[in-house]
Amino acid sequence: MNYYFLPGTGIHGGIKVGFQFAQMLAEHGAPMVVVTPDGRAPHWFDAAVAVISRPAALAAIRPSDVILFSLPHDYAEIRSTGARMIFHCQGTDPLIDPILADRDVALLSCWEQADSYMRERSGRPPIAVGIAISDCFIYDGRPKIADQLAYMPRRGVEIADAARLACPGLRFVAIAGASEVETAAAMQQSAYFLATSVGEWLGLPALEAMAAGCVVVSVPVLGGMEFLRDGETALVVPADRIGGALADLAQPNAASLRSRIRDNAAAITHQYRLNKQFRRLKTLLGDTLGEALSWT
Amino acid sequence: MDLTVVIPSVGLAALLRTCIAHAQSALASVNEMTSAVVVVDNGSDPPYRAAALGSGIALVRFDLPRSFAKACNEAARHRPAARYLFLNNDVLLEPGTLIDMLSLLDNYGPGICGARLVLADDTVQHCGVRFDGGPRGPFHIHHGRPSSIVPRSPVRFQAVTGAAMLIDGAAFDRLGGFDEAYPFGYEDIDLCLRAGQLGMPVLCAQAHDTLHFESTSNRKPNRHAASRRLFFERWQGRFTIDGDTSQ
Repeated sequence: MNYYFLPGTGIHGGIKVGFQFAQMLAEHGAPMVVVTPDGRAPHWFDAAVAVISRPAALAAIRPSDVILFSLPHDYAEIRSTGARMIFHCQGTDPLIDPILADRDVALLSCWEQADSYMRERSGRPPIAVGIAISDCFIYDGRPKIADQLAYMPRRGVEIADAARLACPGLRFVAIAGASEVETAAAMQQSAYFLATSVGEWLGLPALEAMAAGCVVVSVPVLGGMEFLRDGETALVVPADRIGGALADLAQPNAASLRSRIRDNAAAITHQYRLNKQFRRLKTLLGDTLGEALSWT
Repeated sequence: MDLTVVIPSVGLAALLRTCIAHAQSALASVNEMTSAVVVVDNGSDPPYRAAALGSGIALVRFDLPRSFAKACNEAARHRPAARYLFLNNDVLLEPGTLIDMLSLLDNYGPGICGARLVLADDTVQHCGVRFDGGPRGPFHIHHGRPSSIVPRSPVRFQAVTGAAMLIDGAAFDRLGGFDEAYPFGYEDIDLCLRAGQLGMPVLCAQAHDTLHFESTSNRKPNRHAASRRLFFERWQGRFTIDGDTSQ
């Protein structure tokens, strides 16, 4: 049995990535359950995988089972169970270094920067399982509101506030506490998406916004730079220059630049479709990933 | 491989005989399998007579009607087997459906397998259960649509109906059978969700259509109300939402 431990069900990209990954493994035939602290399931995105509580999981786990986890704070308790361990890296916080040093832990990476970090710190190659964006984000060509900019105020709201002052012609729409479907709808309506979380390990919303047909303007981040290519698929601008860059981008004479960025971004997001990751996992399950999991 | 077919039934003797005949025909189409049919007479008045049901039919009798869950569990205890097929008395099992169900469990491992069921007008009665986050909760996906236009490819679900449900015997024992606290309905969904929590696959055989007249024994509009309440008390917030992709 495989248990994927998650720290909660709140609106965080890592929760969704964990559920999506667990579900794909289950669909490939791995016995799989997600473990949340109280056994509750998230209701802000679609999933179809069983959930149990942490106490129930800890009571049931045997040494032949496998625990997948992504939060470094879980490591000590998980290790004490004696079960086999897989670390699904969703962020390169130095707190993960002891996990990377543990040769008993199989390592999974989701994106290039995490892959590099894990190789460097562990001295071994992680299994690159990738990430995916839900199909509901894929832009279907519906008319957009030309002056609408979506952003998520949870991190870097002061950057968004400064950009708003610099760009009075743009209508800023905050996405907060919204379900995945609501978020996708807001992005598909918007011409722009502003990513304000400086140094983010992986800005999944920026990738989702690219799929939703937005021109993405982002502060520099740590993970995800393989799809956030400045001037090509997005504008990547230091926080103190966001307002000016946005104002320039919104000018009528920047239409061709907006169009090029939007088209390139939409094209690159096809590499992150669910069916692509599903097929990638199928291949990996015939190899190292399959060996790391439990099949009974 | 040994299979017990369990058919809980009350009244409707002619329909029951037709159901048994179809089940036996389907069983005869499967190679290298021993099987038996157990009918649970759930308080019929007059009681069923074993001789009238056909040869080789085991009959378990409740003098007073009990829950579907109780009837199924009792029949499984009566004839333990490697697999159980729970069948409503208004389901006319197609041989291809049974072969498909057995094959899916062979391929996916111990778990549960439902079947695509159609109403008399060839519209879908059941081809898998999905879950909404609101008051709707679990629902039959594609219900009422012509079966011919509904894709047959998805086979994994969080739950399937107990109207035609094949389950691995050891899995059924491990789960403790159906939960008898459910008076009528939702015991099948509960069983599937509990199976999922143990990592067991829940599947639906889609390749063939099997006829289900649906709710023939009990047509009361609020027949599921008490079970539905119990289900939401136990599961609200604890199942994932896979939504209605058929819209």
